[in-house]
Amino acid sequence: MRKPSHIRKTAILVGAVATAIALSSCAAPGSGSSQASTASATIDSTVSVSDVAKLGKTTLKMWADQAEQPLMKLVVPAFEKKYPNVTVDITYKSFDDLVSTVVNAAASANAPDVFQGNIGYAVDGALVKAKLVRSLDDVADVYGWNSGTGASTLEPARWNASGTTFGSGTLYGMSPISEVQGIYYNKAKLDSLGLAAPTTTAELEKDLPIAKKAGDQPIMLGNSDQYAGTHIFSDIAVTEQKPADIRDWIGGKKGATFETKGNEAAADTMKEWASAGYFGSGYDGLSNQDAIAKFAGGDGVFFVGGSWNGASLTAGEFGFASLTSGGVGATASPWHISSKTTKTAAAVAWLDTLHSPVVGQEILDTGRLPVITDDVSSKDPLQEQTLTALKDTIAAGTQVGYYDWTTTDMLSIMGGGLQEVMAGRTTSADFTKTVQAAWAKGHQ
Amino acid sequence: MTVVADRRTVGATPTGRRWRSRLTGLSWSSLLYVAPALVFFAVFVIYPICVTVQTSFYNYDGLTVATPAGLSNYLNVFADPTLRAALGHSLLLLVFYAALPVVIGLILAGAMSRIRIYGLTVFRALLFLPQILASVVVAVAWRGLLASDGPINWVLEHVGLGSIATSWLGNFDTALPSIGLIGTWVEYGLCMVLFLAGIVTIDRSLYEAARLDGAGPVREFFAITLPALRPQISIALILTITFALRNFDLIWNTTRGGPGTSTTVPSLYVYLDAFQNRQLGQASALAVVLTVVILIVVALVQLAVRGRSGEPRTTRTKRSAR
Repeated sequence: MRKPSHIRKTAILVGAVATAIALSSCAAPGSGSSQASTASATIDSTVSVSDVAKLGKTTLKMWADQAEQPLMKLVVPAFEKKYPNVTVDITYKSFDDLVSTVVNAAASANAPDVFQGNIGYAVDGALVKAKLVRSLDDVADVYGWNSGTGASTLEPARWNASGTTFGSGTLYGMSPISEVQGIYYNKAKLDSLGLAAPTTTAELEKDLPIAKKAGDQPIMLGNSDQYAGTHIFSDIAVTEQKPADIRDWIGGKKGATFETKGNEAAADTMKEWASAGYFGSGYDGLSNQDAIAKFAGGDGVFFVGGSWNGASLTAGEFGFASLTSGGVGATASPWHISSKTTKTAAAVAWLDTLHSPVVGQEILDTGRLPVITDDVSSKDPLQEQTLTALKDTIAAGTQVGYYDWTTTDMLSIMGGGLQEVMAGRTTSADFTKTVQAAWAKGHQ
Repeated sequence: MTVVADRRTVGATPTGRRWRSRLTGLSWSSLLYVAPALVFFAVFVIYPICVTVQTSFYNYDGLTVATPAGLSNYLNVFADPTLRAALGHSLLLLVFYAALPVVIGLILAGAMSRIRIYGLTVFRALLFLPQILASVVVAVAWRGLLASDGPINWVLEHVGLGSIATSWLGNFDTALPSIGLIGTWVEYGLCMVLFLAGIVTIDRSLYEAARLDGAGPVREFFAITLPALRPQISIALILTITFALRNFDLIWNTTRGGPGTSTTVPSLYVYLDAFQNRQLGQASALAVVLTVVILIVVALVQLAVRGRSGEPRTTRTKRSAR
């Protein structure tokens, strides 16, 4: 009695599983999802308050990075005052959360009207490829984004039609916020060492042994997340070759290569600095967050980072130097308009608001760097220094972006590879070869 | 596991038995009792598994329509040298995540059951604590403990062992064993509690008899406690091996697979492929292979532990009768 029942139930279970598999394999994954059409009307003149009013009482749903919250507290009330029929409803996500979920949210039936993506293949590339975001070429034309300060910062948000290369083509996003890499220094320590703030990587390289000799850790580095090392690498690499070549490589341009003398030299420099002890010991076991905290607490003479680290440092004790010849900058997460939105006028009005000198000043006031740098200034000396560095990199044309934009897995490939180089476990030639192989795989 | 448990409940219900005899073996009324759980199980476990298996045969970015990939995703799993290295790391972690916790758990349980300790409950609770902490908390805490200027190195330096102090998680040679030891710390409490519960059910007269025959504590442990704990050891191994092979959060929150690729494990690549690289087919194929590997390893260990003749089975019946 017992045995047949046992077998029978097993059979039922197996049957159920088999049916479930059969059922679920009816259609290829993704074939049920609605393919968004880019039907939302193009605009041929600036959006007026009355254009937006035609939408009636409406809610503009948005997704944004948590870091935007202080800025949004200033922007949203002013926007809602100007367009009284619109209510702004923003869902905030931590940056990691945002980049891993926003594409799926944009693809869902209940997609937000306006949202932030992230430059590069992982997020923006996927959004463009799946036609989830509206082209902004008409908006840029009407509002004159293509001229004046900030025009060049739009480039990373331009894509070809198939979403396979970026840097030129159709505009799909706009970021009002910029970032600049450079070097923070501890003022008191520089003074006691008798050094001036370095403005080039060559000057920095001269300062490092002096700091080391005095018993200080020259550069505070926390590289367990693998990205801090790539930032230092890119600061050096951009001085060794033409910035435009790096930009092409990051953008996925055919024929671009990472196997250059300049990149090998930069990797060698990283190795030399590491083996000379300029990064201290144990940097691969320290997170970047912990490293900036230690630097803020007085450990280390220099910290290679970027404007996003400024919030952790007080202006009295620290300064920021643009390594002008090597400073690297980029735009922050761009804003997109969903291709599914029915509230185009309100969404365009929102982007226009963000892309204004008023908001530019508010961006600086809330501790970040605006794309529109006309007439903005800060009373905070550290922030003013950072703003100057940003203008310098834009003028020098070294706003090449970040290496990890180029393929979805580049952060771990390049970050992990650099760790191996710095530990002396691989040669710089093998490193550039591995990176190029991953790039070729991602851009075939 | 859950399926087995459900089925046993079905069989044990008196009503079920009555109905079953009438309907030649099928107990519809008891199926009704488990229906809510079964529906939940089907929707949140069986269906996702089916979709995972299906997706593994496609190239799918989660957005556009998938294209059939045949077996290529599976071939990639076996062809990729980085994945093979990751699997090797997992096997080393088995020693730290499964073998060591079981050994430590046995020693602690053996000692605790023999020696009368005041405040035993408190100790038991404290030693079990790692098991109930969120793994992110565990990871962050250990990151601090193992840092180059952390307490562990401080102690080493003050007892004259400063030469071996290093950035434990940032050193290519020590990162993987360090993560392994964190796993040991998390898992031994669970093993200990399982074994203590098992020891309580051992007939005390067996120990008396052994003592009359002149057995010492060590002999007693190997002759009586260890064989009697076989079912608990088997459960402990299932849990710890599964934990070891699918472990992701500890590694992600301590080293992210670094330095270099020295602490990568397959589950790390499942995450990266699915959420970073948008290659859901590849991620699914790897997840399926990982699941099969876990099932095989667990089955092998079960055979080894339960293995010999009918002896362990008797013990098992005794336990389940309790």
